[in-house]
Amino acid sequence: MFAEAPNIVAEEKKNGSGRWVGASLPRKEEDRLLRGRGKFVDDIKLREMTYLRFVRSPYAHARIVSVDTSAAEALPGVVCTITGKEVAAQTQPFIEIAPDHAQKIRDFPMAVEKARYQGEPVAAVVAESPSLADDAAELVQVEYEPLEPVVDSEQALLDKSILHEEAGTNRIWTGIWEFGDVEKAFQEAAYVVNIDRMHFHRFSSTPLETNVVIGQWDPKEDRIHYWCNNSFPAFAIQFLAAHLAVHIDRIRVQTSDIGGSFGIKITSYPQMSVCALASKKAGGRPVKWVETRSEHMISSAHGNERTFRDTRVALDKNGEITAIASRHIDDCGAYPRYEPLGCVIYSQVFCGTYRFKNARIEFTQTVSNKCPVGPNRGYSRMQHLWFLERIVDICAHEIGIAPDEMRLRNYIRTEEFPYTTPNGCVYDSGNYPKMLEVAKGLIGWDDWKKKQADARKQGRMIGIGIGTTLDSGTNNFGQSQIVNPNAPFSGNSQGANCKLDIYGEVVVAVGSCPQGQGHETVSAQVVADVLNIHPDMITVRTGFDTERNVHTGMSGTYASQFVVSGLSAVHGAAQKLKAEMKRLAASVLETKEDDLEFGVGQQGPEIKAKSTGKSINYWGLANIVNVNSAVLTPELQDVTLNCRYIWRANFKVPDKAKKYGNLTLTYSSQLHIAVIEVDRDTFVPKILDYVAVDDCGVVINPRIVEGQVYGAAAHGIGAALMETCAYDAVGNMLTSTFSDYTPITAVNIPNIRYGHISTPSPFTYSGAKGMGEGGAAPIHTISAALQDALFAQGIFINNSFNNADSIFRSLKYREGGQLAEQVRLEKR
Amino acid sequence: MAIKFSGEFEVKKKPEEVYDFLTDPNRFAPLLPEFQSVSVQDPTHFTVKVNVGISYIKGAADLKMELAQADRPRRAQYKGQGAVAGGNVTMVAGFDLAPIADGTKVNWQGEAQIFGRLASIAGGLLEPLGKKQIQKLIDGLQAALA
Repeated sequence: MFAEAPNIVAEEKKNGSGRWVGASLPRKEEDRLLRGRGKFVDDIKLREMTYLRFVRSPYAHARIVSVDTSAAEALPGVVCTITGKEVAAQTQPFIEIAPDHAQKIRDFPMAVEKARYQGEPVAAVVAESPSLADDAAELVQVEYEPLEPVVDSEQALLDKSILHEEAGTNRIWTGIWEFGDVEKAFQEAAYVVNIDRMHFHRFSSTPLETNVVIGQWDPKEDRIHYWCNNSFPAFAIQFLAAHLAVHIDRIRVQTSDIGGSFGIKITSYPQMSVCALASKKAGGRPVKWVETRSEHMISSAHGNERTFRDTRVALDKNGEITAIASRHIDDCGAYPRYEPLGCVIYSQVFCGTYRFKNARIEFTQTVSNKCPVGPNRGYSRMQHLWFLERIVDICAHEIGIAPDEMRLRNYIRTEEFPYTTPNGCVYDSGNYPKMLEVAKGLIGWDDWKKKQADARKQGRMIGIGIGTTLDSGTNNFGQSQIVNPNAPFSGNSQGANCKLDIYGEVVVAVGSCPQGQGHETVSAQVVADVLNIHPDMITVRTGFDTERNVHTGMSGTYASQFVVSGLSAVHGAAQKLKAEMKRLAASVLETKEDDLEFGVGQQGPEIKAKSTGKSINYWGLANIVNVNSAVLTPELQDVTLNCRYIWRANFKVPDKAKKYGNLTLTYSSQLHIAVIEVDRDTFVPKILDYVAVDDCGVVINPRIVEGQVYGAAAHGIGAALMETCAYDAVGNMLTSTFSDYTPITAVNIPNIRYGHISTPSPFTYSGAKGMGEGGAAPIHTISAALQDALFAQGIFINNSFNNADSIFRSLKYREGGQLAEQVRLEKR
Repeated sequence: MAIKFSGEFEVKKKPEEVYDFLTDPNRFAPLLPEFQSVSVQDPTHFTVKVNVGISYIKGAADLKMELAQADRPRRAQYKGQGAVAGGNVTMVAGFDLAPIADGTKVNWQGEAQIFGRLASIAGGLLEPLGKKQIQKLIDGLQAALA
């Protein structure tokens, strides 16, 4: 009836406060996942299953002259084929979030008249087996007329070759964020630093499990059933319902175990559409699509690429930044899809960790003939935070202030929290100077400074870099109205259910789609504290299922928020359940509610009357409600022991005209320090030492938090030194395999030393702050360390991706006098 | 990715003879590396089937060729386009003929653009391989015109 007896190991790890929240419990999920007992979408076998393979455009930009599927259809075992034209004839284009001309973009899940990026699906084949589908896909003949490709956002702005003729321009959206008195700050500045161009490169995530969809369109009931690993299904079905003209409540989505997402799987809804349409054409048979690794690399989604032009920074005589002005140009790839939300999401961290009040950012987004972008760990904010960190380091070097001192002079002061940023965001808590102090202590800052000075005398190029970053979590969807006043979203919410099952088992259901974040474990810890039982006595059902009734329109796993939105919902549901259990137990035990105590007795979890010693266990309580209900008194007829709770964030819709308002509920922070040496012969940058200090407020499970800090750090180190989605001049993606993309592996990850401080959030019930995305701290940190290593050679790091080849080129160009002056200092 | 090629050679044939050779698909096409067959649609259009293979990407390719410029006996230019295994290719190849004392000087130049998986996976190999194949074509032309 109940779960297994308490795990002694876990018991020992219960933290000193006597609460489960804060204990480093092993993850409940680990046993299942590490023994190969997880259930992933590709594990699902359905009767009459068919298999889909896409035919993809080899061109980045081409008109589709003809598509001939006859040879494929003639192959025995092929069930049907489907082309872009067929899709367009049956569906509406996907919703565009951008206003005005961008509303005219006609985005279908397969190319119709034109292919706009290499790898865009042009047709699909459905067959009785995956191998047959592969063979048949090769028989589809597509004739193309190549068009001029656009592979750079600044080139896109020239509109010489336009991707979406119906929109008339490659410019998707432009907005200006201006706060304070920027011109006055520049007039009064002691120094002005001008930076011509900086560029944040395109990279992606490489989850172990690629995208997988099974779609089944039941022709009799006109219902669609998806089994998939989309990580924001509540959002996906809003796109799919309008596109497929099916009522949203007739679309069922189920997720199970997911092998990583990092945001990238949010945008799998185009493939979900094709699987449903193919199922409909196949007479309602289920259609499974399993993305190959190279498909994932060229066509799932990439992170946003951003160029920063004409940056000007005003500083006073002490090196305090007083104003920043810049133009940002973001490249969202061939179709906006989730964009242009990134155009406003960046402003969640508008001033980063710094105090400047005056700023003007002109933000433009363009399309290009590259894979569409999607939310990628640190989505849109990491580009901006990297930009700010580059500014701080470049200014520090230019005016001769040490980078650590420069930060201390510019950080938001600890006593200023909660801190309202120039654009109205409210940072809940933080202590950036303390993080710097802890990180410097961990790495042995003074020792490294001495070693660096000695090494430089020997001609070695060693740099020490600091990166401070923010992980804003639990977003206010009202920020979408800043890019489009008609966008129908605002606030944020999450649902959870907590119940005593028919025979007393405590069952928790949440609407999230965990991909390794430990939602089962931390949910059990929260409920265990509410009911004063052991977490092993709680069953947590994770995975999204529209028929489980625990989701809202914002359910999913994204934006570093489960610890706030998800656990607040779980906590709320558990409190409701506890209240019902108390009422019921008080009646049965003939005592008052405040005489009751929750705990574990001889017969498992129970409620006991302190005055009489009488108790009733959970089985007894559940039995009264569900089985032996004739004994239930009239005043307890409303008790169900099955409690749903919807948590809602206390957000308001931002001021759309002023682009002002609170966009995020919590702000975790991280500070990393790296020591890097650039080899003088090979130019290979090697990390000699690395520390990461994290502040995510009250920690629910330190083991899980530490693991996520390591994971995010590894991802960021890979992005900074190894991983780039490189395209050639005609839009061929040159890194479409792991051999070329070289994702970071255990072999390349340095020994990362971890530190932690805690500044509890005043805005969450637990004091916890969302984390996990990591804010791409290593990219900022490694850029800073490389600049410190190479500054003596006249090099400014103005690209986020730096490998041996790019460092070699920079040094050689500088030696040859070919490197344009990147940075200019004006002393007033 | 783009592969650019150019060069020159001399043959002991009159420009008219060289021109006629270059613009005759049945004589010119078999000199293409890994040639399998040619099918002539009209005097300026033909399709050549060739074998293509780089690493594990192997297969046959149909190249649709057009004689885009025909200025006898001074210049001939071909434009071609086709689906090759794992990608697509477009190409332009021009031959400028000039009379010399004992024959003709042939200046040749062109560019091939490779698209798709072939370029993504085999990008680094394509240029040296492409140049090697083009050299084979030129060697074949010289031999045929000798």
